[in-house]
Amino acid sequence: MSDFVFFLEICLAGLGSGALLALTALAFVLIYKATRVINLAVGEILMMGGYFFFTVAAGMSLSAWIAIPVAVAGGMAIGAVVERGVIRPMLGEDPISVFMVTVGLGSVLVGIVELVWGTDPRTLPDFMGTAPVFIGEAYVSRKIAISFAIAAVVIALFLTLFRFWRGGVALRATATDQAAAYSCGINVPGVFSLAWIISCGTAAGAGVLLGSIGGISPTMGAFGLSALVVVIVGGLDSVAGALIAGLFIGLLEALTGTYLGGEYKLVFTFGLLIMMLMIRPYGLFGTKEIERL
Amino acid sequence: MLGMTKRTFMALAASSALVTAVPAFAQESGEIVIGGSLPLTGVFGFAGVAIEAGIQDYIKIINEEGGIHGRKLRLAYEDTGYQVDQSVAVFNKLTSQNENMHLYYGDSTAFSRTINPELVRRGDMIMAGASFATEINDPVNFAPQFIAGPDYTEMYSILLEYIAKEKPGAKLVFVNSDTEFGRDPIASSTARAKELGLEVVDQIITPPGAVDVSTEVLKLRRARPDYAIFHGYILAPLPEFMTQAKQLGLDTKFMGTFWSMDSSIWESVGDVADGFMGVMPYRYYYDEEEAPMLERIRQMRPTYQATGYMQGFLTAMLMSEAVKRTLDEGKELTSTNMKAAMNSIKDFDTGGIIGVPISVPGNTVPVGRIYQYDAGEKKMQPVSDWISVAE
Repeated sequence: MSDFVFFLEICLAGLGSGALLALTALAFVLIYKATRVINLAVGEILMMGGYFFFTVAAGMSLSAWIAIPVAVAGGMAIGAVVERGVIRPMLGEDPISVFMVTVGLGSVLVGIVELVWGTDPRTLPDFMGTAPVFIGEAYVSRKIAISFAIAAVVIALFLTLFRFWRGGVALRATATDQAAAYSCGINVPGVFSLAWIISCGTAAGAGVLLGSIGGISPTMGAFGLSALVVVIVGGLDSVAGALIAGLFIGLLEALTGTYLGGEYKLVFTFGLLIMMLMIRPYGLFGTKEIERL
Repeated sequence: MLGMTKRTFMALAASSALVTAVPAFAQESGEIVIGGSLPLTGVFGFAGVAIEAGIQDYIKIINEEGGIHGRKLRLAYEDTGYQVDQSVAVFNKLTSQNENMHLYYGDSTAFSRTINPELVRRGDMIMAGASFATEINDPVNFAPQFIAGPDYTEMYSILLEYIAKEKPGAKLVFVNSDTEFGRDPIASSTARAKELGLEVVDQIITPPGAVDVSTEVLKLRRARPDYAIFHGYILAPLPEFMTQAKQLGLDTKFMGTFWSMDSSIWESVGDVADGFMGVMPYRYYYDEEEAPMLERIRQMRPTYQATGYMQGFLTAMLMSEAVKRTLDEGKELTSTNMKAAMNSIKDFDTGGIIGVPISVPGNTVPVGRIYQYDAGEKKMQPVSDWISVAE
């Protein structure tokens, strides 16, 4: 196997990982874009998606094609309940307070998982098949290839919806100026709910993909922190930024991990984060007036 | 109030409190308490729950037999979430609330290291825990501590001796998580592999919590080792490594160390898990070889108990034996006396928890056995004799 093919394989693997990061980052962006809330519980909602899938696919032995929509719907339900029950009563409060509520929410969700499903790490039933995927001579993990394709479709769908769908336009309008959106007849609280529901559904879906690769455990929510780096680099309110930064960080980690060693992955990723915050604190594609917490 | 003055009432209340408190104190004075900073939640929660059950069951057995010199054992513990600051806080709380706490179970290497000066200062306690860190196997600097099994370097030595016997000159890759836990045995084991004529062709380090390991699998394929030894993981990312290695047609054998060896966590992995091997210092709950203590455990708990249970059980057994030997000699329960009693354990019969008589020459029990996962049976099956790496 030539060095070039090896290099190509590493790049493809990195892009695949990056797509998963981008998909999770999207959950941060959707909520921030509409409500100016940074939801630090995205990682734990992602974890809940994995556990919902596990319950239906392994616990009830139902088809993955039933388990996936159930997992996504479960994530959406969490989003709806949290937004209506916890976040909306806090509208107008200090952003730090709302931010801390989401930190607490994450801990509550971890506690629920430990109580209901226990603390053992678990593996999700395979639903992606095991045949290897080759692009030319280059090998790509089947799960990573499928995750990449799903993430690409979902992100393209969101970009289209934001541009052309009424709900997407309402969300953009609310993000730009809430008072103006109200005066134009946009149901702003409804937009908030919609953002939370879609965001948490996306995170839960990402949880199924992530769980199918690395298994599920009460600690898998830590993946959310990696995605937070992506949104800070890409821009907290930019869907395209999440995509591009996700792919870039995936690629960066793959190359540094391969050619320098796994211990350098986080050094480079967080080095990039610090550099970005110093040079361009609103991210590559973020809106300049974003308030940093 | 029935014509009683406030002063009389207070005097009565105080005296009644004394009457009830004195017998309670007298009753507790005979107990020997095992304290525990246990990781019942968090990343190590799966182990903490099993460890607690194992310790409690051995205490139950000892107490049913009348205790140690008539003194009952009791476990006083709290959850730490596998956080060092919380473990230390629990230690301080439990030691201030409980008299006669001479034994302690800690949840991590970081806690073992942090609390060691305090153990030395107190001088009235010995400690073991969930950590098998090589640095704790230092009878001088970690005098009040011991490990109820081999340390991580000794676990690697057991694996390497097995490999050297099965396939002399084999090519190895070490895959370790970029954590203190994961990096523990790398340097010492690379040297040991060389001594045994084995070649470590690559070392792969994965960041903590890594999920996607595609790039690491590609490195593994480049190295094409006969064996890949994983350390610093519980389950993930092992199944993904094994799945992708199979997809790529690699015939590498995958191995792990103690905390990856619980058969229940491999059950859900399915056929991919078949053939996974590793070092296990204790017998499994379902082992069929003669083991009276295992039989007793099965009577107490009819369902499968995880490897953490065996670790907790043996830890309590060794602690109890050290206390018994100290009291047999009429000595005080100090760290020095109990540790000397612990080191006097030679060819000790664990009732089959470990398949050979054990000794504690330093801070460890340097013995283990290679088991292999059988996906059909959903069990770990022994593939070697017990291997001792005592110097």
